[in-house]
Amino acid sequence: MLNYLIKRLLWMIPMLIGISLISFFVMHLAPGDITSTEAAFNPKSSEESRQKLRALYHLDQPVMVQYGLWLKRMVQLDFGHSFASHQKPVFWAEKNANGDITKGMIQEALPITLLMNVLGLFITLILAVPLGILASKRYHQWPDRVITLFNFIGFSIPGFWLSLLLMYWIGVIHPWFPISGLHSLNYEQLSSWQQVQDVLMHLFMPVVIPALTGLASITLFVKNGMLDVLNLDYVLTARAKGLSDRAVTYRHALRNALLPLITIIGLSIPGLIGGSVIAETIFAIPGMGKLFYDAVMMRDFPVVMGILTIGSALTLLGNLCADLAYAWADPRLRRGIATAQ
Amino acid sequence: MYKIFKHPLACAGLVMILMMMLLALCAPWLSPYDPNAIQVKQILLAPSSLHWMGTDGLGRDVWSRMLYGSRISLLVGLVAVGISTLIGVILGAIAGFYRGWVDTVIMRLVDIMLSIPSFFLILAVIAFLTPSITNVMIVIGLTSWMGVTRLVRAEFLSLRQREFVLASSAMGASDVRMIFIHCLPNSLTPVLVSVVLGIASAVLLESGLSFLGLGVQAPQASWGNILTDGKEYIQFAWWLSVFPGLAILITVLGYNLLGEGLRELFDPRSNHTR
Repeated sequence: MLNYLIKRLLWMIPMLIGISLISFFVMHLAPGDITSTEAAFNPKSSEESRQKLRALYHLDQPVMVQYGLWLKRMVQLDFGHSFASHQKPVFWAEKNANGDITKGMIQEALPITLLMNVLGLFITLILAVPLGILASKRYHQWPDRVITLFNFIGFSIPGFWLSLLLMYWIGVIHPWFPISGLHSLNYEQLSSWQQVQDVLMHLFMPVVIPALTGLASITLFVKNGMLDVLNLDYVLTARAKGLSDRAVTYRHALRNALLPLITIIGLSIPGLIGGSVIAETIFAIPGMGKLFYDAVMMRDFPVVMGILTIGSALTLLGNLCADLAYAWADPRLRRGIATAQ
Repeated sequence: MYKIFKHPLACAGLVMILMMMLLALCAPWLSPYDPNAIQVKQILLAPSSLHWMGTDGLGRDVWSRMLYGSRISLLVGLVAVGISTLIGVILGAIAGFYRGWVDTVIMRLVDIMLSIPSFFLILAVIAFLTPSITNVMIVIGLTSWMGVTRLVRAEFLSLRQREFVLASSAMGASDVRMIFIHCLPNSLTPVLVSVVLGIASAVLLESGLSFLGLGVQAPQASWGNILTDGKEYIQFAWWLSVFPGLAILITVLGYNLLGEGLRELFDPRSNHTR
């Protein structure tokens, strides 16, 4: 297991280098040098800020040197400061000369997005697993057909449209849930328990709606997994032994059907991080997606590059965790890794 | 191919797609007003016999804008998927046919591209270029070729070992001949499915980008940017939000139904799946 872990960790190094190359390439897509696009989009950009850009990315040096210097800063986790007037550090907290600590932008935004995604994934799984089992047990009967229909709609519905309609219905016509921001105005005066409640109320819409649209693929996945497993010999054996239907379904079939779900969840991480842009923008949640969108609109290069790199690194980390979890959960693989050593 | 008519879902999808295509092609004849004509005295009118889908905040006829918007969706879907399929087939064919280090390099590139959150990548690229239909199509195409590459590579890996390919290799056929005459035609069925499903996700992506203001730019109409207006006026003008969303839903649903139907028809293994 340890060898496998080390191998996987080492494997991440060339991947990270590749990601950094692509991120760097993206920044150089802009016609001319990036200071000219910045000027074209932001009439307020002064000669001073263009000088700052030139200095930050060493634009007077050859491209390979620029990349090398940028990579050196990335390795030291130095993502620079935002171009916005507040000039916050992009990644992590910093102390200034007076000893005041300024929090990093990603440091503030990341926990919110992570919390949203974890809650969302939890809701998706809680709904998708029973629905998938139901569809596989009643395959080609009406419960399966209804679920299939909803799956197709779930795949096809634009999430932002659904958010917009529900925002109007649940937020404006019936004000059951707040539809904007993360806190109420009187957040500071609330007790800590009320604060938790307040945040959860604000997170309801931006978490539940993406979870509903993500439901389709996971339900389909559980259903197909169950159908594959239910026809295998060992399930037949379990039935022949006279085990109850419950025991066969939940103790024998479901466990194997759920295994590949670990991989699917791992693979869906980039989609979850990227998908947060639209939900967070609509509901004004100050997470990674909103931060990224605002940075893109302001052409705030250090923030864009920082989030692109951190987001990719998180994806790699997520995939690593999924692979490890799979290796741990599947006894066949667990043995395989043990014997390979 | 005729079997498609025996598959009810695929058939329904095909009908939806053809209907949308017809509307897009006939847009100039079907639209009663100029989609960009601003009528200051007729802003935010509810749907009526004069304006079937009402008017927007600048008094433009929504039905006409919807029709012209369908052209954008169709164009973006086809071109973006064309680009991604072309890249995917070429890289997949090279990787699967030649194997060795070429294969390793291409597949690692696929892994790297898959680990960058693609929506972030698309937004970043469009930010550094300028938002326009052309850029949206190119960027969606350049960030969604990885699935096709994997498919084509897998097909080529297995075709390369088949007897008819080995035989033609033994008879001295050139690589080009083996790739284009023997392997490529036999690997295209799964690609067709991914093309149809790819169009669905490209249409969704384009509408999302236009909704965020990073796709098709006003005054040109697209379903996504009509929805942006819809968000603005949601309390007064439901028609601005409901119709474009429904249009996107129907189009994307059509391609998804057709794609899954084709998958079932082509893949004998999946007589139960999907």
